[in-house]
Amino acid sequence: MHSEDSNQIARSVEVEPIVIFDEVSKWYGNVIGINKLSLRIPAGVTGLLGPNGAGKSTLLQLATGQLFPSQGKVRVLGREVWNNSALNRFIGLCPEQDAFYEWMTGWEFVHTCARLSGLRRSAARDATQHTLNAVGMAKHQNRSVRGYSKGMRQRTKLAQALVHDPQVLFLDEPLTGTDPVARRDLMNIIERLGSEGKSVVVSSHVLHEVESITPNIILLNHGRLVAEGHVRQIRDLIDKHPHHIVLICDDYRRLAAQLIVRDDVEGLAVLAKDKGLMVETHSPDAFYGSLPGLSLAEGLTIREVYSDDDNLEAVFKYLVNK
Amino acid sequence: MSSATSASEVGHPVNRSLRAGRFSLTALTTLFLLTLRQYMHGKRWIVMGILFLMPAGLAILIRATRSNIPSEALEFLIVYLLIPQALLPLVALVYSSGMLQDEQEEQTITYLLIRPMAKWAIYLVKLLATLTTTVVLTAVLTTLTYVAIYLGRDNQGQSVLLRCVQSISIHALAVISYCCFFGLISVLTKRVLIVGIIYTVVIEGVLANLPFGIRLATVIYYTRIIAYRTLDFVIPTPHGKENIAADAWQFNIKSDPSLLDHPQLCTAVTILLVSSLVFAALAAILCSRKEFYVKTPEKN
Repeated sequence: MHSEDSNQIARSVEVEPIVIFDEVSKWYGNVIGINKLSLRIPAGVTGLLGPNGAGKSTLLQLATGQLFPSQGKVRVLGREVWNNSALNRFIGLCPEQDAFYEWMTGWEFVHTCARLSGLRRSAARDATQHTLNAVGMAKHQNRSVRGYSKGMRQRTKLAQALVHDPQVLFLDEPLTGTDPVARRDLMNIIERLGSEGKSVVVSSHVLHEVESITPNIILLNHGRLVAEGHVRQIRDLIDKHPHHIVLICDDYRRLAAQLIVRDDVEGLAVLAKDKGLMVETHSPDAFYGSLPGLSLAEGLTIREVYSDDDNLEAVFKYLVNK
Repeated sequence: MSSATSASEVGHPVNRSLRAGRFSLTALTTLFLLTLRQYMHGKRWIVMGILFLMPAGLAILIRATRSNIPSEALEFLIVYLLIPQALLPLVALVYSSGMLQDEQEEQTITYLLIRPMAKWAIYLVKLLATLTTTVVLTAVLTTLTYVAIYLGRDNQGQSVLLRCVQSISIHALAVISYCCFFGLISVLTKRVLIVGIIYTVVIEGVLANLPFGIRLATVIYYTRIIAYRTLDFVIPTPHGKENIAADAWQFNIKSDPSLLDHPQLCTAVTILLVSSLVFAALAAILCSRKEFYVKTPEKN
């Protein structure tokens, strides 16, 4: 890739989506990995969500040119990715699999990846140290990778993805198996990369993880795009469908009698064991708004109100199962 | 990680190092050295070590039990029957089958595929590292065997040294051909070990020993032609001096006048080298179009 190409890529970052999937399908024999997926991922941090087997890894492997689309086209930074190894100078991938050259130390591993990216000796040395500092692995860098904890391995994988200073980063389940401290650290790193102008695509099957990194999400299931956009937009989508709200109240039978006559209540289930009710409603905001009045007027003490739908997890479950 | 700094802060060192260009010699050299280092790790190295000591051990054993056997006969038996027929294909198969498949199995191939290196270049560099490793091992193996055969014998040191160098060259040529061929097979099928063993036993082991045209398609045939046309295998026997290679390899000109039609030295060398190049080029082309599936935890 010549410097002119680099300039074109730099310009394209500002005006075009970073990643474009155009009617892309990928199947492995009879198994569909990605199904007619059209997608535009903008610059910034984007969360790629879906349950196991949704096609997240296939999508990332297509985006990094490891797989050839059975149908359609994949473009990153305005360039087709398949057999375009020069584009890899601008792309970093933190793969999902927990694989390393186990006999290397952390420093050797990252340094080797830097050299494989074409960095000259001294630059590779500097970049390795710089990146290991960035992911908080400097103090463990001389230990063999074989002896690393899961969190340390994830940090080291992230370091190899960052070491050549790519413009676009694809992180495949980077938080999997990490302890809370490592998780928080990795989230901070990803957020910071986004704030520094990198484009980051983070895949995960745990919604709250991604939710706390970025509001921009893409939901995948069975290789299809389920929803994309800002968390709020996805919430709007879900608001068109029934919400489930749980009310815990000692006098739950009397509360049920009050609720059943209301127009905004679509359904009601008694949770006798928890002394509560599960209300199904199309108008969650209005319902929440009426609760204080209901409690005051009828003298009912509602001890707890919660809704799984308040968490993105519920949105996700709903959307992928519809 | 409060003290941690980000990769992009303070002017990342990469910014001044990444050069434009489709191929990076740095990357390819690193891959070459990485592959050599990979070959130095693991159990394969131990297995190869034991395997490589076997001919020398066998020579010592035979010398200890049958002291009257001529050194030349022992040399022919081990250096020109055992090694090229069994050990070289096996060594080539073990190393070339793992070139990419080991990386795929261990899921480390991703780290290569996401670098600015074309897949065909990755294949060729790994093949070059494999050839380097196997040729060095072959040289060591052959030298050790010659030492075990001739050490302490009343021979002219210089002529033995010359024969040893010639044998190393012939074996190196053979192992290069085998590596390129098995490398191609490894790109075509995951079952390269099974295919390779069947090929070695049936084609190189059995059919190559029959005086039919099929032997023209074997590495061992050209290896023998080169050895036969460059080295002297005449040894004293109870019936007088005999060329032991002529009978063993069916190259006896008295009973096989068509030997004159067999390839000359230069032709045999050219065939092995050109076929190796063709195999390597074919494999590289196939590799450039190949998808390397990696078992992700999700797929598992």
